[in-house]
Amino acid sequence: MTPTANAIQAVLFVAEVPVSRAELARVIGVTPRAIDAALEELGATLEDTGLRLAHEADDWQILTAPANAPYVSAYLGADRLRVSSASLETLAVIAYKQPATRAEIEAIRGVNCDQTIYTLMQRRLIEERGRREAPGRPILYGTTWEFLECFGLASLDELPRVMTPEGLVDQEATP
Amino acid sequence: MTIGPELPRVTVEGFDGPLDLLLELVEERKVDILTVRLGDLAEEYLARVRALAALPAEEVSAFLMLASRLVLLKARSLLPSLEPLAVDEGESEEELRARLLEYAATRERAVALGQRLRAGERGFHREGGTVELPPKGGSTDALAAAWTRVLALAVRQREEDIVAPSERYSVEQRTAEIEELFQTAERVTFAELLGDDPTLGFAIVTFIALLDLYRRSVIDIVQDELFGEITVTSKGRGTPRAAARDEDGVPSDEDEVPSDDGM
Repeated sequence: MTPTANAIQAVLFVAEVPVSRAELARVIGVTPRAIDAALEELGATLEDTGLRLAHEADDWQILTAPANAPYVSAYLGADRLRVSSASLETLAVIAYKQPATRAEIEAIRGVNCDQTIYTLMQRRLIEERGRREAPGRPILYGTTWEFLECFGLASLDELPRVMTPEGLVDQEATP
Repeated sequence: MTIGPELPRVTVEGFDGPLDLLLELVEERKVDILTVRLGDLAEEYLARVRALAALPAEEVSAFLMLASRLVLLKARSLLPSLEPLAVDEGESEEELRARLLEYAATRERAVALGQRLRAGERGFHREGGTVELPPKGGSTDALAAAWTRVLALAVRQREEDIVAPSERYSVEQRTAEIEELFQTAERVTFAELLGDDPTLGFAIVTFIALLDLYRRSVIDIVQDELFGEITVTSKGRGTPRAAARDEDGVPSDEDEVPSDDGM
């Protein structure tokens, strides 16, 4: 790897929280553009290891690869997360449409979603993302880092693509 | 078409709702969601809704709203002459179909997410590994030198055990000695207090005596760098003897001890 990619790997290795692209550029002393190239290189290199490079927008973190989850879980004594099908539906709307308001979620599901939103917030799978500049200034919801981790996604680009009834592969734009 | 004996699915966190029920009927009948006349599902849907009596009224109302929509769609398909209808008729068949399609996509996504969850192939981040940086100013050389001194003391201790096993020091005695020393000196180093040839026991007792004096605010202790020389200075007050030396000639009170203020 290039020295910059090595430097990013070292910083992300000790970081316990996601590190922004801007901060990586600052601490390593290179341009954000150079960071982008090095991140791509690091991501490709990690593909063959027990780790993965994950990102949410401009924040980056090194996570364990999904295939190793059973061993890491065993080591940490971690319990498997359980989510009801109703909560999964609400989560699906938020994940694919984010940021989304409660009204938008309820319009799609056709049911009241207070309880499922509350449950997902409690499990930190979703978080508030400010408010929509519309009447009533409704709260916007988006998914969290925990969501990416729990579902073994390196980024929102990896959300499962499903066949919609129209027969098209889902083309939902992700942020 | 016969109506299945099973009740609509009701979950603990919130039932799956009217769209879910409609989608289930579509799937059971194996008809194409894009072309099925939704009105044709009205009767079956109503039959299912009747079984929902156990649900709270406000939740049933959502089902009834969709049921009435389906009945209206059916009526219109049977009687095309009804065509010109009130403007506020509401959701058309195509709008309802679009909603159903969107819901179907959401449900598939939820299933796909659920599969990922059940597969358990998740990621973990590093946690709790706060990096403990060593104290500044230390060097491995200083550490090595300190260890060498300790070893030297330990060797001497073994020798003394053989030569003079009965040697004993008391902290009280040593404290008194140091206090007495400060009658004539303002400052003394730890090395000076130890003398040229300390035994381990003597060094420990001296050190504890200093800690005790410091606790009582009799002395100040300064160490400029890690493992460096410790300088001991008299605070010049608080000790009866120091007070006695004052020009004011404040009478010395033999047992006056500064308050133990919990240092």
